[in-house]
Amino acid sequence: MLTPYQMSSVIITGPNNILETIIKELHNLKVLHIVEHSKNELADIGRPLDKAGELSDALVKIRALISTLNIKNEGEKIELKKDFLEIESTVKKLSQEVNSNLEDFKKVDDLISKSTAVKQELDILKHIDVPLEAFAHYKSLARFTGFVQDKNKAKSIQTELSRLSEKFILFDSPVKRKNFIALFVDSNIKEKVNGVLQKNGFSPVIFTAIGNLEGNTSNNLKKIEEETAKLHNEREKLRMRNESLTQEYKGFLLTAEELLSEQLEMAEAPLMFASTQRTFLIRGWIPTEDLHKSIDRLNKVGKGSVYIQFEPAKKKDKVPVKLKNPKIAKPFEFFLDLYSMPTYKEIDPTFFIFLTFPIFFGIMLGDIGYGLTSLIVFWLLKRKMPKARNFFNVLILASFVSTLFGLFFAEFFGFEIYHPVVGREHEIFKMLFIVLAIGAAHVNIGLIVGFVNIYKDHGLMAAVYEKASWIVLELGVATLALSYFKKIEIHPFVGAVFLLLSFLMLIKGEGIKGLIEFISMGIFTNILSYARLMAIGLSSVVLAVIINDSATEFFHRGGFFILIGVLILIVGHTINIMLGLLGSFLHSLRLHYVEFFSKFFHGSAKKYQPFGAVQE
Amino acid sequence: MATEITSGLMALAAGAAIGVSAIAAAWAEKEIGVAAVGAMAEKEELFGKGLVLTVIPETIVIFGFVIAILILTLKY
Repeated sequence: MLTPYQMSSVIITGPNNILETIIKELHNLKVLHIVEHSKNELADIGRPLDKAGELSDALVKIRALISTLNIKNEGEKIELKKDFLEIESTVKKLSQEVNSNLEDFKKVDDLISKSTAVKQELDILKHIDVPLEAFAHYKSLARFTGFVQDKNKAKSIQTELSRLSEKFILFDSPVKRKNFIALFVDSNIKEKVNGVLQKNGFSPVIFTAIGNLEGNTSNNLKKIEEETAKLHNEREKLRMRNESLTQEYKGFLLTAEELLSEQLEMAEAPLMFASTQRTFLIRGWIPTEDLHKSIDRLNKVGKGSVYIQFEPAKKKDKVPVKLKNPKIAKPFEFFLDLYSMPTYKEIDPTFFIFLTFPIFFGIMLGDIGYGLTSLIVFWLLKRKMPKARNFFNVLILASFVSTLFGLFFAEFFGFEIYHPVVGREHEIFKMLFIVLAIGAAHVNIGLIVGFVNIYKDHGLMAAVYEKASWIVLELGVATLALSYFKKIEIHPFVGAVFLLLSFLMLIKGEGIKGLIEFISMGIFTNILSYARLMAIGLSSVVLAVIINDSATEFFHRGGFFILIGVLILIVGHTINIMLGLLGSFLHSLRLHYVEFFSKFFHGSAKKYQPFGAVQE
Repeated sequence: MATEITSGLMALAAGAAIGVSAIAAAWAEKEIGVAAVGAMAEKEELFGKGLVLTVIPETIVIFGFVIAILILTLKY
């Protein structure tokens, strides 16, 4: 709580012939956070183990198979003999099979699209009785095919052409709400015919797919349809084959992927180490409580030829951080994952978030009905999505606290069911003062945490100048305000002295930045920002009341209207709950990230990620 | 009659206080939000910081809201 796990820096050296054993042991231990070595004059980075190349080749193939077979990881695992050669040969065989399958797929798909094109053309041509060989190329015969608006246009083309020449044949037939025409003319008058057609709004269609088909259109159409059906059949067979392959090898591929990734991680680990021709050096961090156990194990497998040096973290070290919190506050580490890890030396705010986040959330949502509904929903969601359990645990706790505040405000789906301790809807000013007081307390807790942080890092005086100055400033403004409103009998001069004092302290502590902060009075803006606790709560209540009122009106009318009333209640409250949850979550989060954290938090440390542990 | 006009004007003033400040906040948040989403597309870890920066202008609405309530509860 408040401070992370103690860490010790560790340096492991040894001859290259035991490198693989040491890596394996470290992978099993899962405690060492490795610090990557960067190449320098003394030592290069290490070379991956020999099998790394083969492993990554096989892994690429496996991942390709997983993606082409569209396999989803649903936790299906099988027992697998950990023999690389066996896995590799199975993968190779499977890969060939799937690839040839894919090629067949492509061929069939090509054929299908070709015959679909032919079919489309034949579908138009079947309306006129012309043998297909007429559509081949002839020297003395020009051919026009396409659409005109209607039958009349076709007729007028016919009359105009007969004035030009007798050497033409015109077929026409209504197709798809337009009129299809096929016109064969003497190629000598091609240009003139073209003019006539254009005048009549002719839009040409070119038949390319029918190519060298011959004979009657409908016979051809029948043949093509049969062929297409056959192709679809074949495609379905291929799909079934793929499907059965997927089912058969799903577990194998997923397990092999996991196994080989793990082995590859080990094989590539030397890239993070320093190495010379015959020795290696690994630098990293181990939690102090695991230190001795780990060193013993390493010494045992190293058979005396490994040398391990360790020391506790020093002040200027960049230590990876492993947060330490009681089980109940643990889910709230999620918020630091989202934001940034606190540095090793500063206070870990998780526990504060655990205390205040649900309270802020509860004040905003604050309704027995809404709290219980979301509690149930999040509980169900948590069971459905165990991977996001931290997130849901936070929300479940927050919903529970909302229910408690609902009891306090006496609200049940917007109805006031008994006389409340504080009524959010009526006692707006009372609520405003309460939340501002909460805000002042929260911001000041932040200042105190900041004070401790700076005290640990730079000593007492720096902490007084930088953080206590704000508290003096608050005192000054408070005295001034209270004496102005005649609540206390102190001369305003006292307040002014406080102000001046805090001003000087800020200038001393933070220089020109302090001056700006003093003028902008940022701390009061921060406190005023907590008014949102009341504002969002109020808007949620008012919406709920409006929903209830409009539903009640329908209930009074009776009969069919009761149904509408129920509908309004369900839809309205569902929307209001969703809005309330989103608003309460984000605003509570924001109060922590902006108003609270700005008083003390530095962050940007690295998270402790031990070698070999699975990342969540 | 005079009372009605006064209370009407007060309602308008309260509406303006929250409406205008909401527009201002929305405008500012739009600009920041666009940049934040862009940054997050490049680097997912920036969610927390992006969120913080995006919601900073929201305080303006809170001010507007407090002023609106103060106006509505004024005695005249």
